Amino acid sequence: MKWAVNASGENNAGAETPAGANRRFSFARGGVLQQLLAFASLILLVIVFSFSSDNFFVFDNIMGILLSTAVIGVLALGSTFVIVTGGIDLAVGTVMTFSSVMTGVIITFWGAPIPLGIIGGIATGAFCGFLSGVAVAKMKIPPFIVTLAMMMITKGLSLIISGTKPIYFTDGRASGFKDISMASVTHSLFGIEIPNAVLIFFGLAIVAGLLLTKTIVGRYTFALGSNEEATRLSGVKVDFWKIVVYTITGVFSGIAGILMASRLNTAHPALGAGYELEAIAAVVIGGTSLSGGQGTILGTVIGALITSVLTNGLRILSVPQEWQTVIIGLVLVGAVYADILRRRKA
Amino acid sequence: MKTKKFGLIGVSLLAAAMVLGACGKKNDNAAAGGGDKMYIPVISKGFQHQFWQAVKQGAEKAAKETGVEITFEGPETESQVDKQIEMLQAALDKKPAAIAFAALDSKAAIPLLEKAKASNIPVVGFDSGVDSDIPVTTAATDNLAAAGLAADKMAELIGGKGEVAVIVHDQTSRTGIDRRDGFVKRIEEKYPDIKIVDIQYGGGDQLKSTDLAKAIMQAHPNLKGFFGANEGSAIGVLNAVGELKKDGQIVVIGYDSGKQQMDAIRSGKMAGAITQDPIGIGYWSVKAAVQAVKGEKVEPSIDTGFHWYDKTNIDSDEIKPLLYE
Amino acid sequence: MNAIPLVAMEGIEKRFPGVHALKQCRFELRAGEVHALVGENGAGKSTLMKVLTGVYRKDAGRIVYKGTEVDIPDTIKAQQLGIGIIHQELNLMPHLTVAQNIYIGREPRKKIPLFLDEKALHEQVRHLFGRMNLAVDPRAKVSELTVAKQQMVEIAKALSYRSEVLIMDEPTAALTDSEIAELFRIIARLRAEGVGIVYISHRMDELRRITDRITVMRDGSYIDTVRTADVDMDRIIAMMVGREVYHEPKTGGAAKLGEPVLEVTGLSRGKAIRNVSFALHKGEILGFAGLMGAGRTEVARAVFGADPIDGGTIRVHGREVRIKQPSDAVRHGIGYLSEDRKRFGLLVDMDVQTNVAISSYARFRHPTGWMKRDKIAQTAEEVVRSLKVKTPNVRQKVKFLSGGNQQKVVIGKWLTRNSDILIFDEPTRGIDVGAKNEIYKLLEQLAAQGKSILMISSELPEILRMSDRVIVMCEGRITGELSREEATQEAIMKLATLHSDKSAGHESVTSGGNPK
Repeated sequence: MKWAVNASGENNAGAETPAGANRRFSFARGGVLQQLLAFASLILLVIVFSFSSDNFFVFDNIMGILLSTAVIGVLALGSTFVIVTGGIDLAVGTVMTFSSVMTGVIITFWGAPIPLGIIGGIATGAFCGFLSGVAVAKMKIPPFIVTLAMMMITKGLSLIISGTKPIYFTDGRASGFKDISMASVTHSLFGIEIPNAVLIFFGLAIVAGLLLTKTIVGRYTFALGSNEEATRLSGVKVDFWKIVVYTITGVFSGIAGILMASRLNTAHPALGAGYELEAIAAVVIGGTSLSGGQGTILGTVIGALITSVLTNGLRILSVPQEWQTVIIGLVLVGAVYADILRRRKA
Repeated sequence: MKTKKFGLIGVSLLAAAMVLGACGKKNDNAAAGGGDKMYIPVISKGFQHQFWQAVKQGAEKAAKETGVEITFEGPETESQVDKQIEMLQAALDKKPAAIAFAALDSKAAIPLLEKAKASNIPVVGFDSGVDSDIPVTTAATDNLAAAGLAADKMAELIGGKGEVAVIVHDQTSRTGIDRRDGFVKRIEEKYPDIKIVDIQYGGGDQLKSTDLAKAIMQAHPNLKGFFGANEGSAIGVLNAVGELKKDGQIVVIGYDSGKQQMDAIRSGKMAGAITQDPIGIGYWSVKAAVQAVKGEKVEPSIDTGFHWYDKTNIDSDEIKPLLYE
Repeated sequence: MNAIPLVAMEGIEKRFPGVHALKQCRFELRAGEVHALVGENGAGKSTLMKVLTGVYRKDAGRIVYKGTEVDIPDTIKAQQLGIGIIHQELNLMPHLTVAQNIYIGREPRKKIPLFLDEKALHEQVRHLFGRMNLAVDPRAKVSELTVAKQQMVEIAKALSYRSEVLIMDEPTAALTDSEIAELFRIIARLRAEGVGIVYISHRMDELRRITDRITVMRDGSYIDTVRTADVDMDRIIAMMVGREVYHEPKTGGAAKLGEPVLEVTGLSRGKAIRNVSFALHKGEILGFAGLMGAGRTEVARAVFGADPIDGGTIRVHGREVRIKQPSDAVRHGIGYLSEDRKRFGLLVDMDVQTNVAISSYARFRHPTGWMKRDKIAQTAEEVVRSLKVKTPNVRQKVKFLSGGNQQKVVIGKWLTRNSDILIFDEPTRGIDVGAKNEIYKLLEQLAAQGKSILMISSELPEILRMSDRVIVMCEGRITGELSREEATQEAIMKLATLHSDKSAGHESVTSGGNPK
């Protein structure tokens, strides 16, 4: 239906003068505009906070912000794929937790080497995503319901498998586990101490960006979100690609789980509730449309950074916590409204 | 393709059957309560955290001793007051002999408690009190006093002056409020040279509390002490200190136990912590309920106590049984 | 003409639960011809073409493609054979670029097949557009294109499969005249290259202009195939509806103008509406004519309060009223029947009685807050009876009714609301030839009962047949008013192209079904 509105709107505009056509053209490339806007807001936030507090623009604090972005950011990267198809994944937070618990089980209960635990954790995430994808694509259950169910299932399974106890990575064999997130490759190479979790986040962002723009997966992700029926009629195996997309989201959740467990050096079975909404907020602030068909990884990265810069900055300024959430809520609405304004103009 | 699909359906059905089966068993237990054995539902504030698992352990111990049937349940987070009320309602509907109840919201449950009183079902409060005289007794830690002790220890360890900060798990729950106020009041009353620079709430979420604590430490570089008012908050503080490499520069005081806090105390990363007696709380909640049903005399409040523990006494006979991993 | 036909369909049968959709249908397409497929809505044209393109499977019959019998189980097979279709609702992905749309599902890949080869993609598209002589930026997003350009993209996509058969389902429904000319140019070019084109349309003038042969279907059956040059269009219409249809001119005595019920003065809104003034009288049908984008719908929406206005006054029954939103207009007895009934006029998933009562709920509400369901049903039944709505009962969901009957339900809604000023925007769009006459009769009855009707229509015969007076608009202005005697196709068209600047008349004008 949105398509029809768009089409008729364009049609009317087409009857206008050439000047009108030009204006439309310049706004048409507005995906970039939205990102510039988001990026500008991010820079503005950083500047405002830097002037407000001497303790904000400090290397350690900047690293703290980036580190606190890493987990939600990786979840948001994964969510971007599903959201671009016009779907939603409410299970990313609990699948993350479930993956971290499975990693804990493999490494500490079974005594397997760390790399095996990592593979197992990511595989767990991928499998959860795969199941969601199958339920969405083959059983035709709405994504909201499927992933809501997956959220509950993984939440419960995490508690069951862990025996409702945190799993600690402190035994001899697991001792290197914390380094995945908290050691710094750049420190040993260049002497700049950027935690691995941050590097992994940015690395994954590049991978996700390539995946979304340069590969067949990304092309079909957009096609699905833009017009699923047309995609199907064009001979694309829509079901298969949907499953692929949900699986990708699951993989990212799995990686986020490992980053989190590694940072806390513990797999906490009760964590992760509510993380999915923070991830979705980051994606939306980054200009990705919940109705599908458009979105960028750069936008998501900026969106995730905006939320964590905002939270960190407000904390540094000792703004009461109640107000912090109010402000972030306003930013979310504002970001989406800016997007709507842009679209209306275009 | 076909077989794959059916395989999948088969697995899902199996899983569903297992889940349903498990539920069925539980219901049987509950129903059996109406029969020969005395049935006491224990409604706690949660079940996921280690603390509540320890409370559950104590409750089960008392149940075994007294030969009663109990169920132990609680909402997922300590802000789900409504869910807890539903659980209380459901428990009442089962016509139990007595109820043990740890109120998340000290007022919200009063109408239901009055209903219990009208049906002659004794109510025992635990962990924190209810603003009402309905409970025959309350088995709880005096959180105000316990947090006061934490403040005293903090003052002692930082030399009576400087900046300190607090991370609390929740700004609306009774324990959150009491521990915050107990700490803040003691500092204000007794230690004018100590300044509490920030109090933030992390929901007991370790990851969020870590980021919170880091931000506070960034904002206040001269911070000398940090109090985490429950296990999750305390671990968040510990992580933050570790990540900012300020080990030894900031005095960290925690609350409750758990493996991570205990390890940190043993290694000196954490100065010490307040422990309650979770097993005792659970034990007394059921024990007092049984006594009330039998018409025995019950003290109007049961102080289950709290203790300061640090490197020196963590393995002592007095403290060791109170700690859980 | 003795060559083997490109496509020959014979004895095609298709049944859906409760419906015998295709009965012994046949169809033949030769290379290098444009073959029209016509029939009323529901005659089976689309179903037949869906059988040919693998969307539906036939129950019986043969499809012979280039001399050999073929089985077409799915759309992919149809594409492989070279049978392409351009759907009425365009099937493009608006957020993707032109090039990405055309090669969706067949993207050129790099050496690692996960990665796309954008360079090769654009190379192929440039080649394709060169062949079609089409000037569209392959990197533009489809949502940025006009509907006409989008249609060209669809055609390009179909051709990129090396289609030798191209099916177009009402391709001109959303195009302007100049865009139609462009489309016809491309069709001519494809025909010259030997592509066989199936052209589904309701527009008789178009059939005359570009088709070689016409196949008529009615009620799921094949009626006849004729050479376009050999028949006149009234004959085709007669075959479609199974009876002769007369376009009788408006009858009755000289227009007796009652008192004015709606007076609009100096209405303006940006460039879309420029100082528009007119009056609508009691018992009158006032026609609004003009080309697409002339501002007629905009005037209607402004009067109804659907869009904000910059200036102007509106008087209803002589009293000045302020209409800021549609509910104000409704309160003053104005009803608006949108050209897009399904989106703006009906709750398609709800039943007839709900749709009839929805604007008048205050009347059906008991003081205690309950709805008077009996009264609603009773009112709806009266509407069904008096407007002759063909529906099994008032609890039928509106989406199962035909276009003409849906329109009647919308009319019933406003009559129930006691609206005495009715604004009809394209009242017969998407309605069968046969059902059109019923709607016309209904409008005349309403006018005779004292309702005042403002009718926007892009079909000149409709304007001429219905209107007591005709107002013509161009570029947001009223360019003239014609009495019934003065109103002719030529006079209206002259006013409709009365552009204010010197580039007047750059839109080519055809009489009859002028697309909006």
